[in-house]
Amino acid sequence: MTAAAFPRRPSLPAAWWGMVMLICSETVLFACMIATYFYFRFRSPIWPQGGVSPPELISTLVPALCLATTSVPMQLAAFAARAGRLAWTRLYVVAALIVQCGYLGFEIRDYNNQQNAVDITHNAYTSIYFTLLGADHGHVVIGALFSFWLLWKLSKGLNRYRTNATLAIAWYWHFANLATLAVVGTLLSARV
Amino acid sequence: MKLRHLEILQWGGLFLGGAIFACAHVLGYGIVLAACNPANATFGIDHHVWEGALMASAAVVVLIAEAASVLVLYGTRDLAGGYEAEPPLSRIRYFAITAALANVLFLSIVLLELFGSLFNVACRQA
Amino acid sequence: MAVATPPAVTPAGTERLDRLERMWESRPGILGWLTTTDHKRIGLLYFWATLVFFGAGGIEALMMRTQLAEPNNNLIGPATYDELFSMHGITMIFLFIIPMTTGAFGNYLLPLMIGARDMAFPRMNALSFWIFVSSGIFLYIALFIGVAPNAGWYNYVPLSGSQYDPGRNIDVYCLGIILNGISSTLTAAQFIVTIFKSRAPGMSLNRLPLFCYAMFAAAVGLLFALPSLTIDTIFLFLDRNIGTHFFQPAHGGSTLLWQTLFWFFGHPEVYILIVPAFGIATSIIPAFTQRKLVGFPLVAIAEVLVIVIGFGVFSHHMYATGLPTVGLIFFAAATAMVVIPSTIQVFSWLMSLITGTPRYRTPLLFIGGFIFMFVIGGLSGMMFVAIPLDQATTHTYFILAHFHYIIFGAAVFPIFGGMYYWFPKVTGKMYFERPGQISFWVLFVGTNLLFFPMHIVGLLGMPRRDYTYPSGLGWGAYNLAETIGGYITLVGILMLLGNLVVSYLRGEEAGPDPFHGGTLEWTIPSPPPDYNFAVIPKVRSAYPNWDGDAAETTRRLNQGVLVLEQGHEQVETTVADGFLSDVVTMPHSSPWPILLAFFLAMVVLFLTLGKFGVAGIMGILCLLALFGWHSQEPADE
Repeated sequence: MTAAAFPRRPSLPAAWWGMVMLICSETVLFACMIATYFYFRFRSPIWPQGGVSPPELISTLVPALCLATTSVPMQLAAFAARAGRLAWTRLYVVAALIVQCGYLGFEIRDYNNQQNAVDITHNAYTSIYFTLLGADHGHVVIGALFSFWLLWKLSKGLNRYRTNATLAIAWYWHFANLATLAVVGTLLSARV
Repeated sequence: MKLRHLEILQWGGLFLGGAIFACAHVLGYGIVLAACNPANATFGIDHHVWEGALMASAAVVVLIAEAASVLVLYGTRDLAGGYEAEPPLSRIRYFAITAALANVLFLSIVLLELFGSLFNVACRQA
Repeated sequence: MAVATPPAVTPAGTERLDRLERMWESRPGILGWLTTTDHKRIGLLYFWATLVFFGAGGIEALMMRTQLAEPNNNLIGPATYDELFSMHGITMIFLFIIPMTTGAFGNYLLPLMIGARDMAFPRMNALSFWIFVSSGIFLYIALFIGVAPNAGWYNYVPLSGSQYDPGRNIDVYCLGIILNGISSTLTAAQFIVTIFKSRAPGMSLNRLPLFCYAMFAAAVGLLFALPSLTIDTIFLFLDRNIGTHFFQPAHGGSTLLWQTLFWFFGHPEVYILIVPAFGIATSIIPAFTQRKLVGFPLVAIAEVLVIVIGFGVFSHHMYATGLPTVGLIFFAAATAMVVIPSTIQVFSWLMSLITGTPRYRTPLLFIGGFIFMFVIGGLSGMMFVAIPLDQATTHTYFILAHFHYIIFGAAVFPIFGGMYYWFPKVTGKMYFERPGQISFWVLFVGTNLLFFPMHIVGLLGMPRRDYTYPSGLGWGAYNLAETIGGYITLVGILMLLGNLVVSYLRGEEAGPDPFHGGTLEWTIPSPPPDYNFAVIPKVRSAYPNWDGDAAETTRRLNQGVLVLEQGHEQVETTVADGFLSDVVTMPHSSPWPILLAFFLAMVVLFLTLGKFGVAGIMGILCLLALFGWHSQEPADE
């Protein structure tokens, strides 16, 4: 007889809380970078500084919105894992990963093209622009690595550890998607 | 009062005041930065109006949070053992006590910021 | 009235104890220590490592004090002096106080106080330690080869920019601080999740010990403050090495940005230094007054509020930078109010002493010294709310007096008191009381002689961070007194450490509960077994050791209720009310934490050397180590 003497209540696992801690820390990271962006903006008579063109609306916003939609399949994957439906869990993660990798491919090319036009070292505006955008892409890369690792684990079946991992990684993607929207919103504010 | 209502009031009272203080503090300083720097030539922010509105609203929200905590204290006044009784009611009363103190402090800070913003010349260097 | 005889442990209970010992036994030898995930061993590793860094920081301090003992001294030149005060600040803050209070005291005691067998993520706990040690070694190798940080622990631009500090010193600062910050961030996440999920059944949040509230508050502070410092140092590293313009006004940047981001981290950091020490005080006072702390819920929220409001005060470090009054008002308002939670705690401690039956043994003496020095430091801190007074005293020794009274008085004194208080628990031996009391008085006299004259000499205009000063200004006598005080403090510290060493070798057996403290660590043997608790406790109050549950615990051991001896197991509970929610399997010793820490340190090393390609390869090795780490999964129930 172990814990049978006490009734058990349902509660979110420690793994989820651990991921929430990571999300809190990274949220402050992004908040500091976004605050830096507006700090520079408020101190500059002209924005963007040095006659640099503000970011394009469509090519900045649309990929971000596509990425944000991947929160839906990731959350569905978490629900499916909790219900023990392995095939659906894998399918949802793969579906999300296709969009996420497509986003990364497009954005990495776009990032390089923008740098060819005007360098990160041009002025403070380009310094914070490319750092903020690069940090966001870096977090999407980390998310993709999480998802590849999860798929590898799920190839061996479902258990409590992998169910918790699916939930935690789904929440990471919610954070990464919201961060992307916040970053894109910040960068596009230069058009206002 | 029902347990579910007490729970909602307790968590609201505990977090709402602090959250709104943090937002008002950050936004308030942000308004100063925006109003007292070159970009304000474009924005045209009236410092006193914006700060007054922000801090007054924040003060109202903190008062609501404090009211929630006081309601919980009232609703658990007959709990034998007080905050040392069995959970969850003892935990609810405990956090209402802590929130009642915290919200008074947050309100004080918000009011000090309100008066400081209104009664100082905008953007004069310290 | 007859006292009930406690039940004896039956053969079945003894067999369960044997199985627990075999299940949780630590690996022997050096390899056991290098691969440990046991929170007690990790706490001890932190303790010894931080003591070494304390010694280094102390030597730096004494070198500076010796240089300043008389005017126009030329014992140490300006360049070396710059490195000394920079390394002293970095060492004492990042390599001593934070890891000692959180890493040593927090790691060792937190699971014991909440009735857990280990932290929530034991391997990550080990990782925190090995990353911390790497960061310390990295910074001190830099000192020995002459490239230590030399622009102060706060590292202001433009002095720390590539134009005025072209060497590798500041790159060492940036990357060393980031590495140290990763360790602290992991520790912070660990503490919060452990406090939320790993408490014993029945320990609702209103029954959480005040020490644990203090650790929780410090962890929340670390988690939310460190990213600001990380970003700041990344910006500086990019400015210095890639050519970005975050801090260059000529290209649209701002030098004040460094200070703003730094102090957004820096101010919560200084509260993080003292809040765990508050937790130590709130453990010692009930034990030596044999009463519950007065105003328990108010003290708990006060500990948290110091951190929460502390996030809103940071620009009070920037009153002399030319910011508008309407901006500084925000920080003056918060600074005025942040005093109140600390005052609530001081009143609670004093009232507990007055209304209890105090026994002034060594740990309580240190707490008395702490309260005295904290109040003095707090009063000078209160003065800085007033912007004009702050502007008049900025960059003078008055500031040094304030923060040394706070840091030494409010952080180091409780650490010393805690060393004495928990020495019997950790070692099973009792410390020698009389030498303990003498070490307190020597330290008390020494530190007051060292730091009090700084108030006066600061008001007389002596500036900070200058390697010498001219004669004829009336500063010489005060500086000499401070230097003498510094050496007396050294004697006190050596007496304290010597007492602990001799007590370890020759002290009497202490037993499990020599002081009749209120919290759970006093319910188990001294030193604690590897599994901590034979029976996961069922908690009924905030002072479980005073509830008289020993007989019930033995009964449950005999019946096998929540003994969990079939595996390497502990419980998870609900966050708010501590209801049992799960039984989880914990990892045992593992080589992955030390390996990952090594590869991460290599990334930092090669980035500092400018070899970005090799750093990238080390980064890939980090990923592989993470992969290997997560190849091991806990057994399902």
